Amino acid sequence: MVQIFSTFEHSTNLELAITVLEKNGIQKGNIFAVPLTNRKTERRLFDSIHNADGISLISTGAALGTAFAVIGASVGFKLAWGPIYWGLIGAAGGFALGVCIDVFYYKVIKKQQRLLRGKNSEVILVIECEESQADIVEDVLWHHFAIGTARVV
Amino acid sequence: MDNYRNVENKFRRYKAHVSIAGTTQFHIRNPYAIAWWSAAFPGFGHLLLSKYYRGLSLFIWEVIVNYNAKINLAMVHSFCGNIEAAKEVLDPRWMLMYIPVYLFGIWDSYRTSVDMNKVYLLAEKEDAPFNSFSIGAMEINYLDKRKPIMSVIWSLFMPGLGQLHIHRVVTAFFALIWTIVFLYFSKLLLSVHYLFLGQLTESTAVLDKQWLLFMPSMWGFAAYDSYVNTVENNKLFNNEQKDFLIKHYQDPTFRVKKGKVVK
Repeated sequence: MVQIFSTFEHSTNLELAITVLEKNGIQKGNIFAVPLTNRKTERRLFDSIHNADGISLISTGAALGTAFAVIGASVGFKLAWGPIYWGLIGAAGGFALGVCIDVFYYKVIKKQQRLLRGKNSEVILVIECEESQADIVEDVLWHHFAIGTARVV
Repeated sequence: MDNYRNVENKFRRYKAHVSIAGTTQFHIRNPYAIAWWSAAFPGFGHLLLSKYYRGLSLFIWEVIVNYNAKINLAMVHSFCGNIEAAKEVLDPRWMLMYIPVYLFGIWDSYRTSVDMNKVYLLAEKEDAPFNSFSIGAMEINYLDKRKPIMSVIWSLFMPGLGQLHIHRVVTAFFALIWTIVFLYFSKLLLSVHYLFLGQLTESTAVLDKQWLLFMPSMWGFAAYDSYVNTVENNKLFNNEQKDFLIKHYQDPTFRVKKGKVVK
């Protein structure tokens, strides 16, 4: 018997991989999954699909952008460029100001050490199988976007 | 058909529910952010909390009373420094009615989000199973992962599309309908059309100030709401899958091999 170790992100692909393995005759008891608690990532402007800690920097930006758009559109009726341009300038300016405030707050005042970007291994998956099946198992794992695999004999 | 039904009624709190109409969930919110959105437009704070009845009642109330009292028009005049014109347009018969409900919206959404944060912590601790898959004759909804940035982009094109992206049908429907009303009566797109033709004076003159001022909040809210909920739905997906894996793929007889890694 060999064991194939692999790491994954949480996704539907992971469950698909497990289903395909079971179809190929791997017993449920021979599949061992270890979901990890991940290190928090550095705050960024937008959360990606892979990593969403919900503490990105757009909350204050969205709030100030809306407020400044209202003021810009209002005052714009008196200014040369008119309400639409000034509304847009207000929205963009307010958003930028909000992001700057958050960046300053979280990176200068609070200074958190959070350093993990890009894809994270969120689940360790260990498959026990016959040596003859090992190639197929690895193939299935790679096809379903495993981040890395290793074979232990 | 759902994959969980509360039959025994043995749990006290649930952290999420996936239904045909959308995915609702408790998560930690910043009460000040919620209060701010209620100040921008009564009802938005409650919609962010997934309290649709309260949110939509306040929203409709705002449109009717603001329109009749001419609050938006008075704001434009005030920001331009025409205080006399602002006094002129406000209708006292409607205006005084505006104040208590406006403040209630802010206060109530703030209070509710503080409360719901506590409920979230309790529900998270209890970790009761919840429905995560729903299929019916007219719709399908289930947990999965989506790109938050796409919610924002679609919301900026048309408020409501970001909510459709993450299957929040109620907010999407409402945002889409009201955006039509606001865009039509404010003549905003006509104004943009004049801008493209280079006719700046006509572009400004054609706008209806009262209706125009509903739009910035609409855009801001639609983008913020769909973004936050996309992120939270993704987190919910991860948590649900984590529980599933622990429940089904951790056989106690499984022994990790102490061998050698081969290439």
